[in-house]
Amino acid sequence: MARFSTPQTPPGVSPDLATESPAPQGRPSELIRAAITAALAIYLIGLVLTVMSNSGSGSSALLRTIKGRLFSPWMGPMWLDLGFDYRLTYGQAEDADHIIEVRPTLTSRVGKTFPLEATHASDTRLQEIRLPGAMTGERKARWQRLAKAIAITAEDPDRDSLLPTSIGTGLFDDLGATDVSLRVLRRPLAERSQTAADSSSVELEEVYAARVRRVGGQAAVQLIKSEAAGAVAPLIQPSRDK
Amino acid sequence: MMSTHLALQATQLPRSAGIDASWMQFWFTPADSRPLAMVRVLSASVALLLWWSYLADLQVWLGPEGVLPTEMVAQWRLNGGFSLFDFARSAVAVWVLFGITGVCFLLLMCGLCTSLVALLAAVFWASLMLAAPMLAGPADDCLAVLLWCLAIGPAGNFFSIDRWLSLRGGQPIAMPSWRASIALGLIQVHASVISGAMFLAQLKGDVWWDGSAAWWLAVRSESPLMNVQGALAQSDYLMNAVTHSITLFEILFAIGLWITPLRPIVATAGLLAWPLIGILAGEPLWGLTMVIFAVPSCLTRPTSA
Repeated sequence: MARFSTPQTPPGVSPDLATESPAPQGRPSELIRAAITAALAIYLIGLVLTVMSNSGSGSSALLRTIKGRLFSPWMGPMWLDLGFDYRLTYGQAEDADHIIEVRPTLTSRVGKTFPLEATHASDTRLQEIRLPGAMTGERKARWQRLAKAIAITAEDPDRDSLLPTSIGTGLFDDLGATDVSLRVLRRPLAERSQTAADSSSVELEEVYAARVRRVGGQAAVQLIKSEAAGAVAPLIQPSRDK
Repeated sequence: MMSTHLALQATQLPRSAGIDASWMQFWFTPADSRPLAMVRVLSASVALLLWWSYLADLQVWLGPEGVLPTEMVAQWRLNGGFSLFDFARSAVAVWVLFGITGVCFLLLMCGLCTSLVALLAAVFWASLMLAAPMLAGPADDCLAVLLWCLAIGPAGNFFSIDRWLSLRGGQPIAMPSWRASIALGLIQVHASVISGAMFLAQLKGDVWWDGSAAWWLAVRSESPLMNVQGALAQSDYLMNAVTHSITLFEILFAIGLWITPLRPIVATAGLLAWPLIGILAGEPLWGLTMVIFAVPSCLTRPTSA
């Protein structure tokens, strides 16, 4: 592998490159250096704050406010307001693959051909859409991120209805229905003790379910979220007098 | 008291002067822009792959009748911000903006009008990310950082059509540049920060302590390229070794980039380790993007900070 040397180091440039690596030019003027130094210092502070504020563990109100007022307004539009907290896995259920499933709940449908190739049925009437279906690579990963985003924001009061409503509405035409059931499913991660046969026959878990329907005209869309059984049934064990 | 104060001053002055000199040397000493040109070619190649992954579902996601309408996405972005795609009200407009993004990446890879194209590529990529933040993954984030770094430095001075045209026109060959030094310095800083942030995030999970994280990575279906489940299921020690190797590499990479004798070693190790981690984690393009961060440190001997 060819090695290149920066001019500040002793000239260790390989012979074939030496003729093309002339002596270094001067540094920028002092004024420019000062301006760039200030800009770099500000950016590096912003970088530290974005990493500290975008971690999965939350952040302090102080850091959040400083970052939100001073750095997010210009780092956000540049897609630099990032935490880089790529944990890869915690071995938890949330780390499993997520799937979006949408199916009509009413029979008022017309035959349509769904444009997504992975879920393209041989007949023209779709019973359900499962995404990412048979997709592969980064395309599949993007649909899985979308599915996971629905599951993650299900408890966020500001955003819980945004994605399910827009996805359900966006697929009305494809399913030929104005009343659909949307679910997010996930494939449980296989334990080490499970055999290959066990893991292949594992059933998908439902992590989110809602009904999306058009009501009272073209513009109004209603989201009816299905509560998980645990959320509506009491989890209290009957007391036992000892 | 006075003598103590003077003695303190005497010891502090050289140190502050040393920090100042190191800062100036690290950021402003003109650097060869060949490593930056290599980063440009590699980044543009990965960018084209990531851009391509949007192609089949572009209208389903971002089209006027798509599942991620502009109004919804605007509410989704908690920190505000806007995207050029917000102004695309028709399917054709979405295609045009998306097409321009792809052309920018193509020109960036070839190195034509590089300074302008690098800036446009960064702007359009950030816009695409902001148009659908919930679709963005680690590779997209890291690519955005690389593109902004390329927009700062003279990335078209080598391995480019720009260079071929300037040589043909009899213009002098590119001199080392302080802009290249800043761009390469920022790449090094981000490489270290990303690796360090990953390490810290992983420390919060029990599976990275008990050595089972490799298993949980391997059982995800996105890892078909590296089917090591059988081997990991049979040997606890192998599973533990893989898990601990990942965290050990990440912290060594984050710190080693700042220690001159270690820098080329950890950077060269990164050329192999990052793709393997990426494949195991089901994010092969992210692994490739991390390789790009390691490339300049393999090729150059930058100054110590």
